[in-house]
Amino acid sequence: MKPLFLLIWLISGSAASEYSVIMSKKVSISTLTSQQVRDVYLQKRHTIGDQTIIPVNLVGQNELRSAFESAVLGMDRNRLNAYWIKQHFQGSTPPLTQPSVESIRLFVQNVEGAMGYIPSSMVDNSVKVVYEF
Amino acid sequence: MKTVNMVTRSVGILIGLAMALHAEPYTLGQGVQVNEMVNVGGYFSTEFLAKKGQDTVSVEDVAVMAYGDINPMLSYMAELESVGFYSKNISTGVETGNQTFHVERFYGDLWLADAYNIRFGKQITPIGYWNKEPINVLRDTTSNPLYTTLLFPRFLTGIDINGYIPGVEGAHYHLFGQKNHDLDDEYINIPNTHFFGLSVEKELSSEWSSGGSVGEYTTLLSNQRTRFMQVNAKYDDALWQVMGEALMAKSEYAVSEQASAFSGYIQGMYRYAAEHAFVTRAEYFNDHHTHYKDTIGIVGYSYRPLYPVSLKGEYQWHSLNAENRFLFSFSVLF
Repeated sequence: MKPLFLLIWLISGSAASEYSVIMSKKVSISTLTSQQVRDVYLQKRHTIGDQTIIPVNLVGQNELRSAFESAVLGMDRNRLNAYWIKQHFQGSTPPLTQPSVESIRLFVQNVEGAMGYIPSSMVDNSVKVVYEF
Repeated sequence: MKTVNMVTRSVGILIGLAMALHAEPYTLGQGVQVNEMVNVGGYFSTEFLAKKGQDTVSVEDVAVMAYGDINPMLSYMAELESVGFYSKNISTGVETGNQTFHVERFYGDLWLADAYNIRFGKQITPIGYWNKEPINVLRDTTSNPLYTTLLFPRFLTGIDINGYIPGVEGAHYHLFGQKNHDLDDEYINIPNTHFFGLSVEKELSSEWSSGGSVGEYTTLLSNQRTRFMQVNAKYDDALWQVMGEALMAKSEYAVSEQASAFSGYIQGMYRYAAEHAFVTRAEYFNDHHTHYKDTIGIVGYSYRPLYPVSLKGEYQWHSLNAENRFLFSFSVLF
């Protein structure tokens, strides 16, 4: 029986997501698709249902931000830069930034509709996970 | 005209105020963000055209714009542009120019829900890909396909209800209408008195998208009623971009005559480095009413030392040989 538990633990451990997209516990949204998260961060959509969403990015070049941009947005920094220049013409600006994952968690916890991404290991019961990558 | 003057003055004040308040670091191509409510920017383009008997240099567009979020549910955009700012025919030495600024866009967005948002005012007609990014610096060729300039009004002065189509992931719609003159009849490719349409877009993956539109408009001068149907598709990855659009239109003229027009293009681009790209485009245009028919082949090269700075060259072969030409442009978004 022990090897079976070990196998299940190994499989579940290796499949666990490294990062989580989080929102305030006050909102009624429970899960989102990767397309919804992508559209929110590309400022293509401002609401989910009737909830206004405020996406928050990590500031500057950061391993977690790069992982998010690659895994969820599907773009490298060059393509994203080109995208935001095009959006400037459309009257849209990139999401707000926060200096650290701790400040993202605090911001999300306190601002209804805010959305951020943090390492899954940092998730606690002050926020809810709506997507994992 | 009174409205145009008022809008012009308001935008001027807004931009002046924004400049005076500016204190944020500046990134070329992303404008100046003064605060959530005020972002300012602009663009310009210069062109060189070499054509049989007509070599011309011009400052083609000069524009300023301001936009921002008044609150999370309401945002605005205002843009003033001067087209044909300055031009000199090198062959004849004749200089022309028009430094009058016109209202290119002046609209508000009400963000209400996933499936229901409202854009009101003068805006770019939400059809296809090319028409939504019409300025030189964002394009990959200096020229526009004939499809985008001759067959439907590029701007709408009215209402666009838009949002996600419920239950269809990545699908978006625009239901738009205008039942009045353009905010500035001198500054639109087809002045019209009414314009209605529906367009849908679907993101099939992060690389693939497609869409289509139907619409109807009545021209201001000839009272000609035109109905059209349009389709578009695009593939876009880090190296390649291939996109195509086509439109079929049927018009009824005052003398009970009916005529159809068809136009389309397909364009491919290979980005062999972040700054360099080769572009090729094939176009077809056939308007049975004006008897204007042309097939165009284009090869071009695009160099962007920085993304918002664009240098482009292209050569066009036309089936109407007298229209063959070389174009070069330099444009900047700031």
